[in-house]
Amino acid sequence: MSENPTAGPIDAMSFEEAMAALEQVVGALERGEVPLEQSIALYERGAALKAHCAKKLAEAEEKVELIRAQEGRAVGTALAEGM
Amino acid sequence: MVLVFTHPDCARHVTPPGHPERVERLAAVERGLRGLPVDRRECPLGEAADVLRCHPAGYLARVKASVPEEGWAQLDGDTFLSPGSSDAAMRAVGGICAAVDAVVGGAARTAFVAGRPPGHHAERDIAMGFCLFGTVAIAAKRALDHHGLKRVAIVDFDVHHGNGTQDLMWDEGRCLLVSSHQMPLYPGTGRPEEKGAHGQIMNLPLRGGGTGHDMRQAYERVVFPALQEWDPELLLISAGFDAHADDPLAGLEWQAEDYAWLTRHLCEFAGGRVVSSLEGGYDLGALAASVAAHVGVLEERGR
Repeated sequence: MSENPTAGPIDAMSFEEAMAALEQVVGALERGEVPLEQSIALYERGAALKAHCAKKLAEAEEKVELIRAQEGRAVGTALAEGM
Repeated sequence: MVLVFTHPDCARHVTPPGHPERVERLAAVERGLRGLPVDRRECPLGEAADVLRCHPAGYLARVKASVPEEGWAQLDGDTFLSPGSSDAAMRAVGGICAAVDAVVGGAARTAFVAGRPPGHHAERDIAMGFCLFGTVAIAAKRALDHHGLKRVAIVDFDVHHGNGTQDLMWDEGRCLLVSSHQMPLYPGTGRPEEKGAHGQIMNLPLRGGGTGHDMRQAYERVVFPALQEWDPELLLISAGFDAHADDPLAGLEWQAEDYAWLTRHLCEFAGGRVVSSLEGGYDLGALAASVAAHVGVLEERGR
């Protein structure tokens, strides 16, 4: 998979895997290594990887928010206890 | 009236089955031209001297020597030669040079050259991206060196960066080159930081999914003011129609009306002296509709 950023299922990828694949795709496009005819397929692959990364990031942010919210309650409890 | 240059030899550049840059594109262009009152001309064979203003003699000889007697010769990942390819490419060169002669000489105000193969990816000594000779750069050099114009401009609105034209015009301080293109996409070049030896090259990358509205804003914001300031005596257009929403090789969302809008604005410069040459455009229906829109405006403005 890491050898060929134009293939492989994206849904199962971790954030790190998807980012690495996206970097490969962008690099290949920027270095002009891809024939004209295949360039759009690679671009679309890149767009799908970017969407997957964004989704993973949003999920992680939600988790952080959840933890923060819980910590907020915890702090409140601590303050109440300290009074 | 707009001059339209074509030649049957341009259909003798045959690509392998399934290749997007195919002979049928010319029939789509003809469908687009149907009903327009255009003044037809045959592309003369281009002169080696015109090609040599941009490409080394060794490159011209190598391309000609690579032409196969039958079947195909492959020059890069997607650039092929068939037995008729050299004649076709030299007609495309001859057509645009004749168009420049007619428009600079005052015989016509606007011209469209429907030749193949396209040209804007061909670098000094590299055939690539379906292209053999840098036709529009060759035309710019003819206008400057043969006709003695002092300032010309090229606008390349093909969805891919005109890396070849950029390579050929990098040191040419008398020619403003503007290329708008989807990025990232083939061939990977075309960043705004690529400005040419005299700061005379302007690259305008567009984001994938961008619409005609985005294009209009970008051209109004930076391209039209740059053309206004440059005040060219002749405007050349690398007319690729692959930014159309239906095109299979790119991801922009332009419509045929966007090409009409853009052409109308471009005809405001250079005293309306505009020579346009076919580059990409791979959905046949979108190509026909876009050519109709583009050449329709060239016809209005050519009166």
